[in-house]
Amino acid sequence: MLLQVNGVTHTYRETSLFRRRVAKAPVLSNVSLTIEEGKCVGLLGTSGAGKSTLGKVILGLQAPQQGQVLFQGEDLYQASAHTRKRLRRDLQVVFQDCYSSVNPRMTAEQIIGEPLENYERLSVGEQKRRIGDLLEMVGLTPADMRKYPYQFSGGQLQRINIARAIALKPKLIVLDESVSSLDMVNQTLILDLFRELQSAFGLSYLFITHDIKAAYSISDALAVMEKGKMVEMCHDKNGIFTSEHPAVKSLVSSILPEHPRQRVLLSR
Amino acid sequence: MIANIGTVLKSKKTIVVCSILLLLFAVIAVFAPWISPHDPVKVNLALKLKPPSAEHLLGTDHLGRDNLSRLLHGSRISLGVAFLIFVSAIGIGLLVGTIAGYLGGWVDAVLMRFCEGVMAFPSLVLVMGIVGIFGPGLMQVVLALMMVHWVYYARMIRTMVVSLKQREFITAARISGSSPWTIIRKHLIPNVLPPILVMGTLEMGWAIMDISALSFLGLGVQPPTPEWGAMIHEGKNFIRSHPELMIFPGLMILLVVIAFNVLGEALSERYGVKRRY
Repeated sequence: MLLQVNGVTHTYRETSLFRRRVAKAPVLSNVSLTIEEGKCVGLLGTSGAGKSTLGKVILGLQAPQQGQVLFQGEDLYQASAHTRKRLRRDLQVVFQDCYSSVNPRMTAEQIIGEPLENYERLSVGEQKRRIGDLLEMVGLTPADMRKYPYQFSGGQLQRINIARAIALKPKLIVLDESVSSLDMVNQTLILDLFRELQSAFGLSYLFITHDIKAAYSISDALAVMEKGKMVEMCHDKNGIFTSEHPAVKSLVSSILPEHPRQRVLLSR
Repeated sequence: MIANIGTVLKSKKTIVVCSILLLLFAVIAVFAPWISPHDPVKVNLALKLKPPSAEHLLGTDHLGRDNLSRLLHGSRISLGVAFLIFVSAIGIGLLVGTIAGYLGGWVDAVLMRFCEGVMAFPSLVLVMGIVGIFGPGLMQVVLALMMVHWVYYARMIRTMVVSLKQREFITAARISGSSPWTIIRKHLIPNVLPPILVMGTLEMGWAIMDISALSFLGLGVQPPTPEWGAMIHEGKNFIRSHPELMIFPGLMILLVVIAFNVLGEALSERYGVKRRY
């Protein structure tokens, strides 16, 4: 088992200098999830369901108040700083907002080179070659290295983000709404790229989205969250269609048919 | 008309003209000992209060010192000290602002309440207080102005860091294994510095005014060192008979401050507009 989330509960607390801390309704309550090596798990739910918080917990950015996160058999939040740094290497992320995910004052080379500099001390030439390879892998050219973010389109920029995420050959990549801000054509292309990289490196994904269609097309298993609880976990993604839970049913019913003509008109 | 001022300010010409003017002042400041015709502190009572002549282009003051030489030398102190304050205030502001903004929590609260406390006083009053404690003198004025000016930078930088911190590239950097120090150095400072330098250009004008004001009050530069504010102070006794003793240094202050302010406005007009990148 690559990743095991056991009974994670988390509440965001307001911190104030003068007022007493007020506990609010938990964002995550007793959430469990497993991801097997080489598989993609789609995490669905409406906004505010706690999907992104769970993503943060898995990435090691947000220590949960209860529960544990086991990554490759080691507890992410109990591990020593050294182990944690090693574990983090295998955990990467691609966010939704591709513009905000890159430092506007860095070139593509510096952006992709950042994880390499932190973990692998390569010679200048070697690092350049690696970055060139990574750019080609995500469908760009090594000549794009010198460009700044504003010189790329949204889809291209998301490819830069993907190149940075795969630079260290991680085991698990959290895709937090990674295709949601792209147009349909780019969405399909990026999803294809994810599939290619998955088979090339044996990657696992946690695909966080509210778009059931995108999740269904790429995932092996589907999980559905509602109000901080995991309400459905289908190890076979087709199980989603037979689920009885109302939240899952409303998600499934929101799928639009492929062709507009097949839509049932609302008029009587 | 107002729209016109906006376009004039934004134009490259304004920036170029102001920059050349300030560069000229900087050159004068650096080379003052070589280009000034006389010793600025040499007293010659036989020549006191002489009108402009070929020997003394701007005349002499009440102790017979050459006005032009004193003006040229004065630029060294005004510009040099303003620059020193500019650099050190931004340096301290960067340190405090990034730490407060990046760490947040009680560190942020304590540092910012302190800054607000300093800002609550009119800066000149605070500087006079500090100078009052440590005694008058150029070094004390520099320190006092530095201690007052950095809080503005610190607050501005802190606000920018807080908003930058929300951006995902900071999270992405953490996930890439970058340490907080690396994040501050590689991601926060390069994004914070350009607008701060533009703001700093505006502040330079204020610093020059403050130094001159303090020297005028007798708290800053001590005689016989030439400084524009101090020269106005010395000239005020002769305001009826020899107003030029006050007018020339006043004009110098006016020119430099206007140049800094217009340049600052032009730069922020041109680059301060929040662009996506």
